[in-house]
Amino acid sequence: MTLVAGLRAASYGIPFQPVAGVHGSELARINGWQTLRDPYGSDNEVYVIPALSPDIAVIHAAEIDDEGNARVYGSPFWDHPLTRAAKRVLVTAEKLVPTDRLREQPELTLVPGFMVEAAAIVPRGAWPGSMHPYYDIDYPAVERYMEDRDGVLEQHLADAPEADSSR
Amino acid sequence: MDWTPFSFIVVNLARQIRAGEITFSGVNSTLPMLACLLAKRAFDFPFTYINVAGGVEPQPVEVPLSSSDPAIVHGSPAIFANQDFYDLCARGGLDLVYLGCAQIDAEGRTNVSAIGSWENPKVRLPGGGGAAVMLPTAKRVVTWRTDHTPRALVDKLDFVTASGNMTALVTPLAVFLRDPRAGSRFRLEVFNPQTTVEDIVTRTGFRFEYGAAKPALPMTDGERQALELLDTGGRFSAAFKG
Repeated sequence: MTLVAGLRAASYGIPFQPVAGVHGSELARINGWQTLRDPYGSDNEVYVIPALSPDIAVIHAAEIDDEGNARVYGSPFWDHPLTRAAKRVLVTAEKLVPTDRLREQPELTLVPGFMVEAAAIVPRGAWPGSMHPYYDIDYPAVERYMEDRDGVLEQHLADAPEADSSR
Repeated sequence: MDWTPFSFIVVNLARQIRAGEITFSGVNSTLPMLACLLAKRAFDFPFTYINVAGGVEPQPVEVPLSSSDPAIVHGSPAIFANQDFYDLCARGGLDLVYLGCAQIDAEGRTNVSAIGSWENPKVRLPGGGGAAVMLPTAKRVVTWRTDHTPRALVDKLDFVTASGNMTALVTPLAVFLRDPRAGSRFRLEVFNPQTTVEDIVTRTGFRFEYGAAKPALPMTDGERQALELLDTGGRFSAAFKG
């Protein structure tokens, strides 16, 4: 939430963003967050979070056209503030679609192409996570990845869809 | 039938929900997710359930193991994504929020940041996930522990991640309640009849009042049936780690 306040500040083009709460949390101390008093008279003390602009945002979309217009189904989670706050936006997507398909329901386009620097078509690119509505979380793969033994990372990378060059 | 640690936590988390409330469950919150889905089936009053995957009043075909799996959005008539539910909380619109904790103290403050000192931790924890904003701004916050030990229920937190309107703590042994105002402390409200108040005192790191504590009411038929349906084949209870 404070992270998103920082992203919002960057996307709004301002140096900091007020945020609710945080009072009584030691996160304020370790991060050096300051408070401001409401200048309009309520006397409320509000924490302000400095702007946070990622150099690069990488998101995974459902569909993309060759202009970079990217569609996401279901919840966008944090993709909206993240892509607006970042200096550069890269997109991976499940499949390439014609622009006319995106014109049918433009409200489903999460990032317009002019904001997207580069894109790649990566089927099952969210693995072992899920991609609504195409596939669910691969729970066994997540459990294997969490095992504490040698070779887990190598096996995980070998199992990833991107490792299969025949696709 | 006796309580199990799993059923005691889920049913007592569900029993915190009041008629007409807007409730929310987040990431790494499988037990509160089950509690909200149980309450929908077992209780005869309406309330609104929002979850971290963006679901509003979801009707999942099969309840996912992860509380942030998009499968928990299935059947929602609306998507209410992260920015929306955090902002709703910030402006005072969430009545009951379930937030996890690694450590909790008698005043309902939580630590999900580090065990040991922040600068030189023994264990670095995943972090608040919005807790520092949600705990003070939600009307009521409920937390839970799958163990009941003086390591988790502490007199002094290693680090204060969040502080605010904590009102209930549910463990396999007990339900503690506190008023959502500064300085208010947890009191033992309900205990698992398979244990004793003395045992709870021994296993709790903070001091608390227990003069008015009562044994938990048995599971109702509605609660039992709803839990059995959600936990078909023991999917959740078998994975439960106390």
